[in-house]
Amino acid sequence: MRAIRIIIGLLLIALGASAQDLASYEKRTTVRKLDNGLTLIVMERHEAPVFSYATVVNAGNAQEVPGITGLAHMFEHMAFKGTEKIGTTDYAAEKAALANVETAYSAYDTERRKPVGRDDAKVAALEKAWKDAIAAADKFVVPNEFSKVVDRAGGEGVNAFTASDETAYFFSMPSNRFELWAYLESERFLHPVFREFYKERDVVTEERRMRSESNPVGRLVEQFLETAYSAHPYRQPTVGWPSDLASFSATDAIAFFHKYYVPSNMVVAVVGDVNPAEALPIMEKYFGRLPKAPQPDPLRTVEPPQRSERSVVLRETSQPFYLEGYHRPAATDPDNATFDVISMLMSSGRTSRLYKSLVRDKKIAVNASGFNGFPGDKYPNLFAFFAVPSAGHTATDVAAPIHAEVDRLKTEDVPADELQSVKKRVRAGLLRELDSNSGMALQLAQYQTLYGDWRELFREVDRIDKVTPQDVKRVAAATFTPDNRTVATVESTKGGAK
Amino acid sequence: MKMTNRILQLAALLLVALSAFAQATDYRDIKTPPLRNFNPPQAKRIQLDNGMVIFLMEDHELPLIRGLARIRGGGRDIPSSKAGMMAIYSQSWRTGGTKDKTGDQLDEMLESRAARVETTASDDSTTIRFDVLKNDLDFVFPIFLDLLHEPQFRQEKIDLAKTQANTGISRRNDDPQGIIGREATKLGYGADSPYARQPEYATIASITREDLLAFHDKYVHPNNIIVGVVGDFDSKAMEQKLRAAFAKWPRGPQAPPAPAGGTAAKPGVYFIAKDDVTQANIAMVTGSGLTRKSPDYYAVAVLNEILDGGSFSGRLMNDIRTKRGLAYGVGGGVGAPWDHPGLVRVQMSTKSGTTVESINALKQEMSDLRTQPFTAEEMATAKDLILNAFIFTMDSPEKVLGQQMNLEFYGMPLDYFRNYPANIQKVTAEQVANAAQKYVHPEQLALLVVGKDKEFDKPLSTLGTVTPIDITIPEPGGSKAQSSGPAVSNDEGRSLIEKVRNFVGGKDKIAAVKATHEVSTINTKGPQGDMTLDVDLTTVYPDRVHTVLHTPMGEMTMVMTPEASFMMSPMGSQDMPTAQRENMQRETRNDTLSILMNADKPGYTFSAVGSEKVGDVDAKVVEIHTDAGSLKWWIDPATGRLLRKASTVRTPAGPAEAVTDYSDWKMFGGLNLPTRFTSKRNGEAFGSGEVKTIEVNPVVDPAMFQKK
Repeated sequence: MRAIRIIIGLLLIALGASAQDLASYEKRTTVRKLDNGLTLIVMERHEAPVFSYATVVNAGNAQEVPGITGLAHMFEHMAFKGTEKIGTTDYAAEKAALANVETAYSAYDTERRKPVGRDDAKVAALEKAWKDAIAAADKFVVPNEFSKVVDRAGGEGVNAFTASDETAYFFSMPSNRFELWAYLESERFLHPVFREFYKERDVVTEERRMRSESNPVGRLVEQFLETAYSAHPYRQPTVGWPSDLASFSATDAIAFFHKYYVPSNMVVAVVGDVNPAEALPIMEKYFGRLPKAPQPDPLRTVEPPQRSERSVVLRETSQPFYLEGYHRPAATDPDNATFDVISMLMSSGRTSRLYKSLVRDKKIAVNASGFNGFPGDKYPNLFAFFAVPSAGHTATDVAAPIHAEVDRLKTEDVPADELQSVKKRVRAGLLRELDSNSGMALQLAQYQTLYGDWRELFREVDRIDKVTPQDVKRVAAATFTPDNRTVATVESTKGGAK
Repeated sequence: MKMTNRILQLAALLLVALSAFAQATDYRDIKTPPLRNFNPPQAKRIQLDNGMVIFLMEDHELPLIRGLARIRGGGRDIPSSKAGMMAIYSQSWRTGGTKDKTGDQLDEMLESRAARVETTASDDSTTIRFDVLKNDLDFVFPIFLDLLHEPQFRQEKIDLAKTQANTGISRRNDDPQGIIGREATKLGYGADSPYARQPEYATIASITREDLLAFHDKYVHPNNIIVGVVGDFDSKAMEQKLRAAFAKWPRGPQAPPAPAGGTAAKPGVYFIAKDDVTQANIAMVTGSGLTRKSPDYYAVAVLNEILDGGSFSGRLMNDIRTKRGLAYGVGGGVGAPWDHPGLVRVQMSTKSGTTVESINALKQEMSDLRTQPFTAEEMATAKDLILNAFIFTMDSPEKVLGQQMNLEFYGMPLDYFRNYPANIQKVTAEQVANAAQKYVHPEQLALLVVGKDKEFDKPLSTLGTVTPIDITIPEPGGSKAQSSGPAVSNDEGRSLIEKVRNFVGGKDKIAAVKATHEVSTINTKGPQGDMTLDVDLTTVYPDRVHTVLHTPMGEMTMVMTPEASFMMSPMGSQDMPTAQRENMQRETRNDTLSILMNADKPGYTFSAVGSEKVGDVDAKVVEIHTDAGSLKWWIDPATGRLLRKASTVRTPAGPAEAVTDYSDWKMFGGLNLPTRFTSKRNGEAFGSGEVKTIEVNPVVDPAMFQKK
């Protein structure tokens, strides 16, 4: 017993001596809030003459309502379409042409969706007029000029994503392109132009077909979320419902953009070979132009407590999958650290409980994991378990072993060495992220957005250090109950694999 | 005048001062200062007398150390009969543990220190790596060495790796992207190519512990190994440590050179049916005949950027995604691996209704590479993409180390990457055009489409003769199969069969059945539509069947005996096609009464494998293997009722999964048998039926089985 305490004590000393403490990172990080409400973060890292950035907008598909689902993601695509100066041969003419497209679309859309008294000949004529208007506007387009400018300047990892809670834009550049970056990134949110909107809607529909429709796990997740959530927008798919994707307009997207892409709702973080004394004035010069605007109203709807076990079954020709979720509080809840520990205990590495039980000993799954923040974590979300049954096993075969491990969390104290192993790996995990400019830029921007303070990235690790076996038992008992559970399975119509 | 001058001077100064603070209004106005001088340190190269090469790279930013040993020999060195062996090898290498410690014990030891030792494999090499907090190096390094030298490949971990591999096989047709990836590779290299190995249940089953040990013995010698270490250490001390560990290790046989690529499939249209999708996946592929070592590579690198460079900068993205909205994902190029010829390959996915339109667009892009001259802007963009982003190939010590290790592994000059930018800069438009002529031959491309053809905009046959590819996963053979459902009985399986036997009427009554005559009405969905027919079925066990179908078009009789099998209709008589005869033989040998009669014989195994709901009942699933093949039964454990049966049948469209559900049991001659059934093929409704009567042990006229 004493030996274990001595060893744990030594480990703690070793942990404390590591270089990733907050103080050293505070020294090289500067935060500035502009008059327009935008938050800028600059963290220095001079290993190579490069920098990465991430712009995080505190709006995701949870801000959508039926009729405009998919719009947040649609705008993310639009953010690559250029500006009044980039991507056009003549903006004045193009602007008028795009206005014509909207007028034509509105007339066409109204007629084609008339529930009674629709005139099909009129619909066909209006559709043609709309497509002609698009062709006229397309004449002014210089395709993909924005991305080409970034690519040609040495942009690396150019991408963006839309999630339930947020939309993020990021790439890396050689450090001598800093001013170019500041210009481009501020321009795209100052003067975006919604050109090629309807063509891009087709592209997004292909993305939906690829990710959600033609992929068994995509189909599973979509059905799962709409069942686990009855009221809250977390139930909506990020890519949008097909009907909404086929209907919403550029005018809708512009309205969404004006409401949510306001500087007080945005964070821009830069990490790399930058000197704050030089970088911040440049950033202020360009990003200070974004007009101040009121913060959008916070989301009103709160998911009512789930009081029933819910079940979803997809019968597919594919092999089976198992997914279940339990409602848990938002990431800002004091118990968040305990949920992180539970996730690590259950599914991090080959010493994790689900691996040992389902994969190694029973061999009924080829992987099994438990994770937080599904589909987001700004709002109350789900702790989910996902398992891929091994050949010859069905989705329901994995349910009881998963529940057996969950019950252990409620009834047994987590042994000290197991808890310590989790904590050590969490701390080392943060350490291992610190040498990536792009990883850090995104994390800083996300933590600043969620908590209002980038330092929470480091403090979170300290909170995890303090989690006790009693915390784990308490949180497990409160969360993992049948009435709080939604189960979704893909069952194979092939009668189980060989 | 002086006043004006002074005002003008002040104004000029003011303008200069203002412009220093004014933001640019056009990106073209933004000045780009030169990038600061950056000469990242190179790793120190050490060659031992036994041939091992070691690279050491210090990096003191974080208290971490990462190291790896890359060993020649990989997936392309395995015979096709053992396809999948590298997955088993690379997993059980680590999980199988060392002499002193099992893999599970190593997991506990390493994870409690947030350390990792992991093993992976690729086509041309295997790698063992470690990742450790610097203070734990002396604890982890001996584990790394032990696993490198004497892995135990414990059998239970081989079995676990096989479960993973078999599961992967069972799932490989579920995602269309997975299908097109591997099938296009097989077309491009040829299905027999060492670069297109596809594991099957049979090949996984054939892999033994001896195979893994033999592979290790063959390749793990210092002269086949490159070691690299990066992190927070002192090079001198690390060199001493590594020399102490490796210098005395004697040389062994040199790994063989890279095998040749293979032969691409003939050009043409290839189709794989997949119905649970809303998109078609499209690929065009053939051999490129090019390796990275070729002097043509630089022009091809520029060509690839013009085709598919940057985020949206290439022709494919611009034309097919942005202009035409046909795809979210489209890409490709001329492949040039380091040491074997690569593939020319382009790929995209599009909604089913624009499949042929997209194929034509993709074909146009490929021929445009030969006919549409490369503009000055395309050339400048392509070069900028490569040169201005080049810093990102070396912006960390780990990346620089990786570059050096790669050059060493493939026998390239160690200054290759230092010279790379200049070599790209030199490429002319004419050289790129010549590269397109030499390496892009659209008429040689094999076109592969995965999707639901009845939803395509045009039939694929409008593009040429279509060769269908059957991707049905070959079942493990007979009762010797090593699938995860072992062909051995388990107690639960046997007891469930007993329950079914008892429900039907008991062992003795069933044993007394010599023949049955069944009269029923069947509704079936055929290609011509729905059909209702009456059926007279006489079965004389074990292997004689006489069937009369009363159809609206007349009577059709089918006879199956070991001596002859034939069919008679108003049109005349003909032999039964082989596939149909085999189906019928299997169906009869494996019909319910047959199985129950023979359940105690050797060669019949019953293995309960789990539960599944059939309607409201939690049925038990039993895998049955007989000498006529395998099938599954779903049994109500409370009553012993056989609720559902599933087996594979051969149809003109290929093997199909046939599932039949039973209900409405009635007594016939002392036997309790279902009178209603519904059938599905591959998940879709196929037919249903109602049994009117069953006569047990009727009088049978042997003449009914003779040809007339």
